Amino acid sequence: MSRRDAILAACGSVVAMPTCVRGAGVLMNAPDADFAGLARIIEHDPGLTANLLKVVNASVPPSGVPVLTARAALETLDSVESLRFFVSTGVAPHYVCAIEGYDQAPEMFLQHSVTVGVASRELARALGIDAPDHVYTAGLLSGVGKLLLGAYVQVDLGEILRLVFDGGMAFDAAEQAVLGISHAELGSIVLDRWGVPGPVTRVVRHHLRPNGYAGRDVVLDLVHVGNVLAKMIGVGLGADGLNYEVSTGAVGRLGVTSAVLDRVAADVVVALDGLRDLFLACADGGCRE
Amino acid sequence: MSNPLVVGISDMKLSTRPEDVIATYSLGSCLGVTVYDPRARIGGMVHCLLPSAASARERARRNPFMFVNTGVAMTVHRLVDLGADKRRLVFKAAGGANMRDDRLFETGVRNFQALMRLLERNGRRLAARDVGGTIPRTLFLYLHTGRVVVRSLGKESEL
Repeated sequence: MSRRDAILAACGSVVAMPTCVRGAGVLMNAPDADFAGLARIIEHDPGLTANLLKVVNASVPPSGVPVLTARAALETLDSVESLRFFVSTGVAPHYVCAIEGYDQAPEMFLQHSVTVGVASRELARALGIDAPDHVYTAGLLSGVGKLLLGAYVQVDLGEILRLVFDGGMAFDAAEQAVLGISHAELGSIVLDRWGVPGPVTRVVRHHLRPNGYAGRDVVLDLVHVGNVLAKMIGVGLGADGLNYEVSTGAVGRLGVTSAVLDRVAADVVVALDGLRDLFLACADGGCRE
Repeated sequence: MSNPLVVGISDMKLSTRPEDVIATYSLGSCLGVTVYDPRARIGGMVHCLLPSAASARERARRNPFMFVNTGVAMTVHRLVDLGADKRRLVFKAAGGANMRDDRLFETGVRNFQALMRLLERNGRRLAARDVGGTIPRTLFLYLHTGRVVVRSLGKESEL
């Protein structure tokens, strides 16, 4: 069996993404939990968002339209009790202690994922683009392949980094060479198997190399540049660092200049201040118990 | 090491306590600058997101530490207020990384250029640096000695 097939087999049996929020299980079972508080945790955690989209799209959504965002999924649930029912059917939090192979603590992964989502959304706003609602969710989920590889696969980071620094490869190309699959492709395959809708999985698949997608998708371009910006800002960087290529195609299609990017970077840092309590709650305790 | 004083993005911390350590994590394109008076053993660290406040004066007024030109100048100003001597100050920098083969934005390059322009204008020199490339960095300043350490990819090196 090839390394790629072994990875796909290992991740194919995964029924739920791990969460990065240490206290999510406790909060969801707390008798005095309020819906808004739980919704906020789910909406900003890549694992919980993916699990919720899986569960909600597995049943027929009331509107008959695929559900693309955690917020839309949560709107179909009108009480803590119905949210708990969904939790019991597949959103149950399973905390990941370390994202092995990427030298990234879970709270750093969470912060980075949120930053990609916020950056993608703020970029759309700065450019005057009326982006679809799923731009935040697609950005948040863009890196879930790392979560899968980190939690369920033994990744040889040293070999990947050797190709990056000695072989001059971008990190995703080195992943492809060593593992037979990049984290972007793996994330999209698993989400697709789970029934997460195409507009989201397409972005996850191509967010590192948007020109690999034959069509035109503004959300894909926004998340590509949002991911670049998040890496430049540096929040929650892992060992992959800034070792990715910037797509001149996506930058040109959106009309992003360095002046625009600077302005959005400042907006993103200010926006992240409003989520600091969530990051602190996530980091609190960690796996040191 | 005792719990360090952590500098966030667009943030600055300074200390007059020799037992303190100041740290900033996850420097990407941002520039971390340490400023230290070895005789007074007073020092500070600033984590700047962007090079210049020229096009964002209102934002710089609210948070000067977001920008290299205003952030480093304000750090020096605060240290002098605490008793540091401007002529003794030692400047070191880390960060300023860029995306692979990035010729479009070059934020890391621009951040470092802004620092060098500022120092040159004020007749000061940069004592040490670990800037550029594509790696994330964590920066530490030990107040007792002024020792500056950069950690990246699990390895530490002294500046």
